[in-house]
Amino acid sequence: MEKWECTACGYIYDPENGDPDSGVKPGTPFEELAEDWVCPQCGVGKEFFQKMS
Amino acid sequence: MRVCIVGNGLAGAMFAKSLRDLGGDMDIDIYGEEPYLYYPRPNMIEYLAGRIPFERMFAFEADWYDKRRLGVHLKTPVTGLFPDLREIEIAGKRRETYDVLAVASGARSFVPPIKGADSSHVFTFRTLDECRALIDRLQKKKGLIILGGGLLGLEIARGARARGADVDVVEFFGRLLPRQLDEGGAALLRKQIEGMGIRVHLGRACREIRNDGENLRLQFKEGEDMVAESTVIAAGVRPNIDLAQSAGLETDKGLVVNDGLQTSHPSIYGIGDAVQFRDRVYGIIPAAFEQARTASRHVIGEDVRYTGTIPSNTLKIAGLDVTSVGLVNPENEETEEIGWREEERGMYKKLVLRDGMIIGAIWMGTKQGIGEINRLIAAGTSIEQWKNDILHEDFDFSVIL
Repeated sequence: MEKWECTACGYIYDPENGDPDSGVKPGTPFEELAEDWVCPQCGVGKEFFQKMS
Repeated sequence: MRVCIVGNGLAGAMFAKSLRDLGGDMDIDIYGEEPYLYYPRPNMIEYLAGRIPFERMFAFEADWYDKRRLGVHLKTPVTGLFPDLREIEIAGKRRETYDVLAVASGARSFVPPIKGADSSHVFTFRTLDECRALIDRLQKKKGLIILGGGLLGLEIARGARARGADVDVVEFFGRLLPRQLDEGGAALLRKQIEGMGIRVHLGRACREIRNDGENLRLQFKEGEDMVAESTVIAAGVRPNIDLAQSAGLETDKGLVVNDGLQTSHPSIYGIGDAVQFRDRVYGIIPAAFEQARTASRHVIGEDVRYTGTIPSNTLKIAGLDVTSVGLVNPENEETEEIGWREEERGMYKKLVLRDGMIIGAIWMGTKQGIGEINRLIAAGTSIEQWKNDILHEDFDFSVIL
């Protein structure tokens, strides 16, 4: 599964880790994150994220 | 136990969130002078550009705070700190008692000593209200001169342009993004910016702004005047440390903290843009977040140490990926620089080395390899034997890492 990077602050969403503090289990692909999920580091929305090459 | 937080920006909000995420059960109250729930500053540019509606400005909705039992007090500035009493003064009126205080008062826009900088239609761009005022003005008048060709100035330029404004960027230094880029990288960025219809002027120092009612006339140390209906001053920020200073906490450029993020008074923490750690004031999101996170762990009694943040900006500027890490403009240092560029593809890479170790990097137009470079910088690994190949696109980092 691909990692996605927040273009606002550099935070990297790694699907293997998920985002447990926000209730996102490890193994959750980025595409399956809820529309109102925000970057755990800075709070911007999914639209700021881009797939890492 | 009661934790009070001065400031409702990223550091304050993430500190509160982190305390709850770690299972902290204490009472938490956040005091913010603005009338808004926490909003990430990058959202302001999207809002300026018209790409997100007002409702999407905010990281969390009101019920998110309620569910976590976080008391949020808006339009409620903290007006005094009384460390020995463990009290804060709220809105010049009443006092609140705390066990632990976190000062997350952030930074304010720096306005250089330009005569007439307080004229109407001269804006700074730090708060959401300032953003709304600028949008309001741009909806009526299109002409905009931005004083400052750093990160914020360029982002405002791009956002205003997307809204249909007619934009000039004026930078005091001889290049754009002077702190993050070198001449070569900045030249590449300039081309990209100008390609968006934004005019760029370098090496210009504004001395006076005159308002004739219709227009602002900007006078510079050298060269021609410039005229536009509005101006934004984006010349950097300064830590908000007045409260801390009045309270007798140790301050220098910022509020001084130790590796537990404590100020000179152990029950008071300092986090975010207001803070100075080992002589550095970072002013970047990753530092504010790391400080907030480490401080929250320290509060609940974990044996943690903050060791600083490697300043790394990975941003999309004018559609161009720009990454700047560590020391990129060495002066008086025994350093070596290696570079690679392919201008037609808008790509540029530079490494700054000391004793064979990477201490700084600029990557533009591509992000391939930057993760590995970050790791090499953090690890202090020597890349001496790979100097000639490491900048190539197909370099295999597994030979080092």
